Amino acid sequence: MQRSSTLESLSAGVDSLQGAVDGARNALNSIILGKPREIDLALACLLARGHLLIEDLPGLGKTILAQALAKILGLSYQRIQFTSDLLPADIVGVSIFRQETGEFEFKPGPIFSQLVLADEVNRATPKAQSALLEAMEEQQVSSDGHTYELPQPYFVVATQNPSDQIGTFPLPESQLDRFLMRVELGYPDEQYERELITGTDRRQLLDEVGAKLTADSLVILQSAASIMHLGDPLVDYIQALIRFTRESPEFETGLSPRGSQALAAAAKAYAFVQKHAGVFPDDVQAVFAAVAGHRLKPNIDSSYRSPMEMSRHVLDNVAIP
Amino acid sequence: MAKQRATDGTLLRSLPWTLTALCFSVLPHIPYLPIWITGAFAICAALRLYVEYRRKRLPARWIRVALALGSFFGVFAIYENISGVGPGSALLIIMAALKLLETHQRRDQFVLLFISVFLIMASLLREQYLWSLPFLVIGTLITMTAWLGMSPGQGASIRRNFLSSSRLLLYAAPLTLAMWILFPRLSSPFWAVPVDSSQATSGLSESMSPGDISSLSLSNKVAFRVDFVDQVPPPKDLYWRGLVLYNFNGRTWTGANEAIGHDRRDNVEYLGAPISYQVTLEPTAQHTVFALDVPLEWSIDRTTMGLHQQLARERPIDQRISYKAVSHTTFRSNRTETIFDNNYYRGLPEEGNARTRALAKNMREAVSSETDFIEDVLRMFNEQAYFYTLEPPQLGRNPVDQFLFEARQGFCEHYASAFAVMMRAVGIPTRIVLGYQGGELNNFGNYSYMIVRQSDAHAWTEVWLENRGWVRVDPTAAVAPERISAGMSGARLGGLGASWGFSSTSELLHNLTLKWDALNAKWNEWILGYGPENQTKFLKLLGIDDPDWRRMMLTLIGIITVMIVIISGLLVRRYRAPKIDEASLLYRRFVRQIGIQPIIGETPRLYARRVQAQGKCGNPAINDITEQYLLCRYGPDDTTAMRRLRAAVNDFAVAA
Repeated sequence: MQRSSTLESLSAGVDSLQGAVDGARNALNSIILGKPREIDLALACLLARGHLLIEDLPGLGKTILAQALAKILGLSYQRIQFTSDLLPADIVGVSIFRQETGEFEFKPGPIFSQLVLADEVNRATPKAQSALLEAMEEQQVSSDGHTYELPQPYFVVATQNPSDQIGTFPLPESQLDRFLMRVELGYPDEQYERELITGTDRRQLLDEVGAKLTADSLVILQSAASIMHLGDPLVDYIQALIRFTRESPEFETGLSPRGSQALAAAAKAYAFVQKHAGVFPDDVQAVFAAVAGHRLKPNIDSSYRSPMEMSRHVLDNVAIP
Repeated sequence: MAKQRATDGTLLRSLPWTLTALCFSVLPHIPYLPIWITGAFAICAALRLYVEYRRKRLPARWIRVALALGSFFGVFAIYENISGVGPGSALLIIMAALKLLETHQRRDQFVLLFISVFLIMASLLREQYLWSLPFLVIGTLITMTAWLGMSPGQGASIRRNFLSSSRLLLYAAPLTLAMWILFPRLSSPFWAVPVDSSQATSGLSESMSPGDISSLSLSNKVAFRVDFVDQVPPPKDLYWRGLVLYNFNGRTWTGANEAIGHDRRDNVEYLGAPISYQVTLEPTAQHTVFALDVPLEWSIDRTTMGLHQQLARERPIDQRISYKAVSHTTFRSNRTETIFDNNYYRGLPEEGNARTRALAKNMREAVSSETDFIEDVLRMFNEQAYFYTLEPPQLGRNPVDQFLFEARQGFCEHYASAFAVMMRAVGIPTRIVLGYQGGELNNFGNYSYMIVRQSDAHAWTEVWLENRGWVRVDPTAAVAPERISAGMSGARLGGLGASWGFSSTSELLHNLTLKWDALNAKWNEWILGYGPENQTKFLKLLGIDDPDWRRMMLTLIGIITVMIVIISGLLVRRYRAPKIDEASLLYRRFVRQIGIQPIIGETPRLYARRVQAQGKCGNPAINDITEQYLLCRYGPDDTTAMRRLRAAVNDFAVAA
């Protein structure tokens, strides 16, 4: 009873907030040109309370996307540039001895902000990487026997250069699993490329746009996204997809139960962003590559190598109920 | 020939169950099998498991062929035959054991499970006890569980397989019952299983030497059960006549059923009131048919009364048989017989047992009549120090002399033999009757019947007297009157047993045994003895009067049809077709109308786009229907959307 009335009041407010989501979308699209799909995915990822991994070559606008997200969604923002000499303390913060009080005082690191951009996460040592990933998973930081809650909403956008570049420590599969989605930005179309060349500087443009949402409304939107209608046929569809990844000889490992939960959550949030009445098969298909791509491992003799190819193979072989 | 590959452990999941099923079905055969077959089976089973666990290789083909040939000849050497229950089941078991050694895959295990079913059924050819039914059910369940475990579906749990097989058995149960009740029974079966002669049946032998019956008396096995129609006769009349012995070689008494085929009832004068009863005789593998002394009528085919008033059947009694009989305990027989001119009933060996003969002659000379002489001999047994015991000392070359003058301890056979020798020594025609005496009355609720056990086996004598014919004289009664009045079982229980060397069974245990026996008796009567007669009786009970085989078959077919319909109905109900809601039906109709099949994994929106791109119909209705369909099928319950979808699809159909 209690719960349903909360949900009702929630959905009443959500309608007005959904307009704000549209505003945020438009603003993002005006800054990052020609990437509406990726922007929708990033928004869905945030609304599904997940973290985002952007993987691409340098200079494709990873950083600007993260900055734009923070700015437009009204979140506090910190950027951590991962380097090979980065230490865990540089991320989570350090305890400093105060002479005056005779006590240790915790100086929070850059991780204590609502949106953290972990830039080039694969350049740091595994030790530093795991400090970030632990914080992401636990939503809290432990230091010197004290536990510090991270701010809410909490959203990590990590960027990564493709791991075949020199001087990188690629994230292991278990760490990749912590990211709800992994997206690639890719080169912009010629039309947008031209606009980028001739138009104003993106960073300058970013300074001009204001916040379209607040942190508090974002929390409400996250709740609203989590109660999107997920009908039985769609649960069947998700299960069929999962089963296919487990039974297909193309994959060494299929999707884990965590993977299936991630798929459902991401599809709900995506449907919410699309303002669908319920989760449609299109929503599942839209998020599938981003959610499943980094969780699937192709078999040694499989002809599907890239996350995109593997996802396409799954989607093209599972009937929609 | 390809080189034998090592096993890969794929059978590890199913093999233990196949082995369990096989072992269970072998179980009832073990007591009848030569020990080496059981041993070989156990070794092969263990070896096969070891091979699978350790990924070893199975033995080469030539070894298997050699073993198979060796086993075949081994079985043949023991049974000197390869047909019949004994050699048949032995062969089946040893071949199953060898089959284990070449079990590579699922298919081979199916063969093993099939053998397992066969073995379960084969055990019924030997004996059908009360526990045979639970054994049958459990054995079938285990085999079916193992069978289901090998079905190629994703590894269903043993519990589920077990439940499935139980359910299947349950479905079959009413059918089985109906067929069992209604299938027309024949009074004589079309076929019979040859008796397993390797199996020693306990029971009276066709001859008698000292020690024969006393060893039998230790057996608690049931010889036959008797159901008296009216009154139960007093214990002193409970002489169950069996075989009559008249040849004596100084040690062993023998006789024969030489009079088979001739009815000698006219030699008997039946006096007193008739006693009607029904006997259920356990198989003996002999010809002798037991009846209360002396029978007048009996309902058992091809059975006649011989020269010595004994009943014998042409075919040996190789299955439990039930028959009705009427006897008169008061009778006179062979009053006017004239065949005694020869030494047929008076003959003794030329030599041996001289002291006994001398004693008999002296005693005869001391009295005037044969009757007095007989009474004197009985009095001698009664008054002098003669003892009744089940553990008599061994007797040497002149057993009668030794018994009468030295050992003075013996069982009924010793007294009967000694008495008969003494009678014959003075020329009185005498013969020995083997049979049973007494029996224990078992009251189980309203159901009361008499159990006659092997321990009730008895030997007594008959002497022929002028004008009186054959007169029964039981010397044991003179020595141990309680043996006759209380019966063997009664004597055992009531304190006397201890002095005879019995370990007395506790009362409670004995009562339990009696109850169990009553259940067995009913089981034998109604389940195993369900022949044409019982069938008619039972069907009358069910309200089918005058059942002939045509009506039975028609009823049976009717019942089977009804049951199959019911079971199919249940199965259909259990099968739930995947729910197809209205939205998807409407959408399918729409797709049919468009005439382009969606590709696997194509969402409705992509489909709509593709259809429109193909220019088949640039109808905006396509988008509308697609959106309404998405709402109806994937959105929350929405009746207006459904109505719109219905209308849109209908309009689309009309437009097309």
